[in-house]
Amino acid sequence: MEKRVVFSGRWVPVLLLAPQVTITLVFFIWPASQALYQSVLLEDAFGLSRKFVWLDNFRILFADPLYLDSFGRTAFFSSVTAALSLGLALVLAVMADRVIKGTALYRTFLIWPYAVAPAVAGVLWFFMFNPSIGTLTYLLRFLGYQWNHYLNGTDAMALIILAASWKQVSYNFLFFLAGLQAIPRSLVEAAAIDGAGPFKRFRTIIFPLLSPTTFFLLVVNIVYAFFDTFGIVHAITSGGPAQATTILVYKVYSDGFIGLDLGGSAAQSVILMAVVIALTVFQFRYIERKVAY
Amino acid sequence: MAGLTFSGVRKTYPNGVRAVHGIDASVGDGELIVIVGPSGCGKSTLLRMVAGLEAISEGEIRIGERRVNELEPADRNIAMVFQNYALYPHMSVFDNMAYGLRNRRTPRNEIARRVAAAAKTLQLEDLLARRPGQLSGGQRQRVAMGRAIVREPDVFLFDEPLSNLDARLRVQMRLEIRRLQQSLGTTSLYVTHDQVEAMTLADRLIVMNGGVAEQIGRPLDVYRHPATAFVAGFIGSPAMNFLPATVAATGSGVIISGTGHTLTAAVTACEPQRPVLVGLRPEHLLPASEDSAALKVAVDLVEALGADTLAHGILPGDGAGPALTVRLEGSRRVDVGDTVPLTVSPDHVHLFDPGNGNRLV
Ligand SMILES: Nc1ncnc2c1ncn2[C@@H]1O[C@H](COP(=O)(O)OP(=O)(O)OP(=O)(O)O)[C@@H](O)[C@H]1O
Ligand SMILES: [Mg+2]
Repeated sequence: MEKRVVFSGRWVPVLLLAPQVTITLVFFIWPASQALYQSVLLEDAFGLSRKFVWLDNFRILFADPLYLDSFGRTAFFSSVTAALSLGLALVLAVMADRVIKGTALYRTFLIWPYAVAPAVAGVLWFFMFNPSIGTLTYLLRFLGYQWNHYLNGTDAMALIILAASWKQVSYNFLFFLAGLQAIPRSLVEAAAIDGAGPFKRFRTIIFPLLSPTTFFLLVVNIVYAFFDTFGIVHAITSGGPAQATTILVYKVYSDGFIGLDLGGSAAQSVILMAVVIALTVFQFRYIERKVAY
Repeated sequence: MAGLTFSGVRKTYPNGVRAVHGIDASVGDGELIVIVGPSGCGKSTLLRMVAGLEAISEGEIRIGERRVNELEPADRNIAMVFQNYALYPHMSVFDNMAYGLRNRRTPRNEIARRVAAAAKTLQLEDLLARRPGQLSGGQRQRVAMGRAIVREPDVFLFDEPLSNLDARLRVQMRLEIRRLQQSLGTTSLYVTHDQVEAMTLADRLIVMNGGVAEQIGRPLDVYRHPATAFVAGFIGSPAMNFLPATVAATGSGVIISGTGHTLTAAVTACEPQRPVLVGLRPEHLLPASEDSAALKVAVDLVEALGADTLAHGILPGDGAGPALTVRLEGSRRVDVGDTVPLTVSPDHVHLFDPGNGNRLV
């Protein structure tokens, strides 16, 4: 049965919708249209003159090896971050699902990182891995590894991947745990009677039944790694060394606000917007159909 | 094929709930034993201990000659049909049935042969490619049965497999299960709280109450000679009437308390004046003429079921007398307010100890 509230006047519904619409307009529609507009302009750094250049900004971007490098780097960063945080969260969720005593405490601790702001998380990892004063760097030195993410691009990439996935583990954990708990116990029991050991049960029963959750989280995590990791990169590496950690979202910032190439930066954010829209559409189209069993 | 033996089996859950307090029973090869009892009496717990899904706290369970206490569910060679069927939702009907065989590395053509045979028996041939979500309740039930029989196990375990079906289908599936079990000759344990299901299916019944087996026996023996007042009240529908009474001083019968009615009964084993609980089945109370009547019931509610009519009433006496239900032939007309004179054969008067509920012989 359809539940529908019918308003008699016209003003009440308008009033109720207004806050949401206002927020969307001010924080999304307006900046997005600004970006779209700017992306076809060539503007000098002081905003004194501007020229309409059609799609030149985009053409320049795709001819720029630095930008294309950043694309590849972002793809690498996102997939490794997503894989790492999903894998870790799944392991933790499977373990938490088995815990009988002290469940609440265990879960609370696992959920905390999600409440930490990206920049704060970045600073946390920045200190732990600081080449001169970091505790973990110190330990690594004992193991014979000279950690220095200021000089070593691989170290820097590893560090932002670590920090970014750490922050996302909580979110994934919650969803995986809920997904695991929604699987009827009798299915697992039936599989045990049917002669499947713990790993086989996980592989053939539990994991396939979790696949809608996994797919949803995969998209969410890729979107996260693409767009929400600015704070982490900014706090830990500022895109360096030698652009080794300049992922797309960071490049938008550094080209626009440091390089003052406003048109190019706007064009980059338009491309990022297109990526997120494509991912979201993909998610909505497929989540119900393909993955549902 | 193998029998099943319980010796001193107990279960205490980690939270301290004592669900089963010492079951001793043996199930013969090919026998179908129904475990019946009210909700929470430990039926599922007992079954799950046989399956290996719950640890056995004390005692021993043997399948054939093997002690299975320490074995994993997979190694016990049992198959279980769950109340919610527990079909794997992401697999086809074929894969659901083949899953257990694949895990045991059965050759591919053997799997195909066995699944095809089971599908034929259960009329699932046209459904093999479907997912469980695309089946009706009855069809899912059949798939669950099929998954159990393709494994050709030593023991079938059923935990209320029919309770999610509608009444008609339940009757039909009940017959099918019985037929299948007899043709396969597989030892089976079947849990239910439905006493009609229990009576019709069982070779023998285990009537459980509060974690103990109150009686183990063939359905008709249990019906005719219930070992306790609990069993007497649980088996048989409508339920047995219980009337407090005392053994007559003459030693020839019992006097129903508060009503002055006297029933002839075999009371030789009881001392006179002893208080007893008299059990009378509604179907054993027969209409009689006014002067030969042992009991007279004042009817206050009538349920006409067609074939039978159930008359509920009280035995008039000082104050509100004890309640009594009588099953009469459907053709007999009774109205609220009538007084029906009744008689009962001494063989059908059951006597129980009012304290512990045990049968008095
Ligand atoms: N996992 C468990 N932990 C603790 N106590 C349990 C557990 N499972 C069952 N119990 C308790 O054990 C007792 C027996 O439960 P069981 O499930 O065997 O009853 P049942 O006879 O199958 O009842 P029903 O007809 O309702 O299915 C109940 O008191 C129940 O609360
Ligand atoms: Mg049960």
